[in-house]
Amino acid sequence: MNWNFIPLALGEAISPTTAAYALATIGLVVHFGFTGLVNFGQAGFMAVGGYAFAITTLKLDWPFPFAVLATIVASVLFAFVLGIPTLRLRADYLSIVTIAAAEIIRLSVKTAEIYDVTGGSTGLNGAADTFQALNPIPPGNYGIGVLRFTAPDLWTMIVGWALVLLACLLVWALMRSPWGRIVKGIREDEDAVRALGKNVFSYKMQALVLGGVLGGLAGALFILPRSLQPDNYGTQLTFFLYTIMLLGGATTIFGPLLGSAIFWVVLSLSDGLLTLGVDAHVLPISSTQQGPIRFIIVGFALMLLVIFRPQGILGKRIEVFFRA
Amino acid sequence: MKTARQTQPRRRALLGAFVLLGVVLGLLGAAPAAAAAPSPAALAPAASAPTASTPSATLAPAAAADLAPAAAAVTPASALAADALDPATAPESIAVWVRSLPSRAGVPGLTVTVTGKGYSQTFTTDADGRVEVGLPAPGDYTVAIDESTIPADLGSLPKGSNPRTVTVQETNKGVPANFLISQAAAGGATTPTPGATTGPARTASPAPSSGGSHGAFWDIFASKIVTGVIYGLLLALASIGVSLIYGTTGLNNFAHGELVTFGALMAYVAGTLLHLPGWIGIIAAIVLGGAYGFVQDTVLWRPLRRRGVGLVPLMIVSIGLALATRYIYAFFFGADRLTIPNDPSPFLVIGPISLRFTDVMGAVLALVVLLLVAFVMLRTRLGKAARAVADNRALAAASGIDVDFVIRCIWIGGGALAGLSGVLIAYYQSLRWDTGSSILLLIFAAVTLGGLGSAFGALVGSLVLSVFMNLATLVIPDNLKYAAALVVMILILLFRPQGILGRRERVG
Repeated sequence: MNWNFIPLALGEAISPTTAAYALATIGLVVHFGFTGLVNFGQAGFMAVGGYAFAITTLKLDWPFPFAVLATIVASVLFAFVLGIPTLRLRADYLSIVTIAAAEIIRLSVKTAEIYDVTGGSTGLNGAADTFQALNPIPPGNYGIGVLRFTAPDLWTMIVGWALVLLACLLVWALMRSPWGRIVKGIREDEDAVRALGKNVFSYKMQALVLGGVLGGLAGALFILPRSLQPDNYGTQLTFFLYTIMLLGGATTIFGPLLGSAIFWVVLSLSDGLLTLGVDAHVLPISSTQQGPIRFIIVGFALMLLVIFRPQGILGKRIEVFFRA
Repeated sequence: MKTARQTQPRRRALLGAFVLLGVVLGLLGAAPAAAAAPSPAALAPAASAPTASTPSATLAPAAAADLAPAAAAVTPASALAADALDPATAPESIAVWVRSLPSRAGVPGLTVTVTGKGYSQTFTTDADGRVEVGLPAPGDYTVAIDESTIPADLGSLPKGSNPRTVTVQETNKGVPANFLISQAAAGGATTPTPGATTGPARTASPAPSSGGSHGAFWDIFASKIVTGVIYGLLLALASIGVSLIYGTTGLNNFAHGELVTFGALMAYVAGTLLHLPGWIGIIAAIVLGGAYGFVQDTVLWRPLRRRGVGLVPLMIVSIGLALATRYIYAFFFGADRLTIPNDPSPFLVIGPISLRFTDVMGAVLALVVLLLVAFVMLRTRLGKAARAVADNRALAAASGIDVDFVIRCIWIGGGALAGLSGVLIAYYQSLRWDTGSSILLLIFAAVTLGGLGSAFGALVGSLVLSVFMNLATLVIPDNLKYAAALVVMILILLFRPQGILGRRERVG
């Protein structure tokens, strides 16, 4: 029996993908946890960020810093396009509009007519080249035990987690500032904040932009270790982010980090255990039936979390946006 | 939002202007597009290709992409250049398949050049239009068809699809590079889009050339209307449940798509696995769908309502439920397309429109059931009570209506209707583990369009949306019609949140 999957699964806790999910979830926490915006379109922000980064890098040959700038600008623009008409809507309406907007993005970039720009349904490949050209780490393999990282892996990981920590710091600082008190006030009672003479719409928009930029940057980070595939940005991605957020705590700063790490470790562990069981013919399932199981786990986790522990692991029950 | 009432006339005028603009644009764009394209709808599903499960059909996050019918099994081609790598023994290979659009027949004798990784070879497609190319290493390869070898009468390859870069991962064999040659190079989605195959598979038979471009346009137009109406009726069945559940409980049920799939799967079990006649499958879908709705309400939603869980967490619970049940379906029924026995021969042919028996009966059945629902809603005590609860729950409870009982009935009815909708959609198009969830946003769009909470709104919204979607393909690429429907939904929410038939209320 090969138990190597256990350290490998634990290694998922620090992988760049986990960092990207954590970053996108921090954006979602700003939206949902702190401001009370039910944004079901975070996958759309990630897609916009990812495509902005990949297209400027690959098609326009922009250097890395400008591509990052383009990512931020595109996310801000998407936040405005989405926010100006919809932020006045009720929560359930907002959720449907945002999920639809994310799907419109995904379906549009897949269109064959703009294949030259977006790569159609095959997506784009090699956007990380300019980023890896900046890699100061000497080539080679690094790591402990069975966990092995190449120099590009390590570089992506360092930058990714640095970005996540910066975002944490930013959100933490903002949320203990007067600005943070106002957006939390909007979450608790919008009318009360409006009665105090605050421009609720403007604060909501600022929160949407901030979380959207974090989502966009997460989208760029997400494609550094892999190619850009439009179907990665389906509604499932958003729901994964919600699971991560509710797991860690929707109104906490470090919840997304913890949630993302646990989420990926649990998924890899379950995959590993299943593979072990299937290979040893202990489990009566075929190897193609393994795939759906992780999604079944996520689905049940999401339901159970909302019903039994809506504040997540780190959250305070009193500060739960929705009182269960 | 206190200005809403004052700006209402202006908004209505804006909406009117939008509609007018849409119509004008539609008419302008339709004529040239129709003259050129045989039927963009025919482009969408390459699903008619024999699908086989990919060896590595794991459901990675990119699940939908992996499950694509594009992974069609490819038989190694016989005719290969002498010094090329044998695709049977090479660790990686690309399967090129060139077909011509109207007939979907392979095009033999075309020159295909595959370059990349310091490798360049030229091949010729075999009698089926296929050629499998063995590769020396994984990486990006460019597949180019020599356009000069395409017979002139077949047309050409859509712009942007040739040459094509194909990314081959390690040990990937038979990576598809499908090309469709068509008369109209305009609509060029040669790679099938699994997520968006909501379009009816039924299209008009190629328009007779004698009618000229003008006649062909009206033929396509008529067939689009017919597909739109039939699909709209099926969509309406699913939408009514969503609308009534929203109206009575305030829940946006993201798991409704799974109720639809459930009905279709029950019909599949009855029809394909147990070899029972089709009508038993339909009854099974209705009865079991209703039972499923009842169980769902009793086990999950009623306890949560009792606990006073808010609407947003309820919505997230429904998302979790949708995710879990959808993949439970995938677990038991696999990731491939499932077929229910169906007679493909034309049953009703009117001009350019050819319908199968199940298309006609599905539409008739849907219409009858919808009339029945209308009767129940308007003429019975239960229907009156349901409308009262949807209107104002507290008031209904105060006037002696058993709200919980009404909600339970709505869950049963909604589940049964969704089940029927699922089996009819499975007959009309195709069935997969995610059939229902792929139309979920469409259902939401239809319900929003008609007016949330109203059964008739759901019906009108579904019909309007479906016809609009099908007509939209006259001007926009086929795979964007789903996106177009969502755009319509967003516009409606912005300018007339109460929908076509809804009651005006504050939504901001």
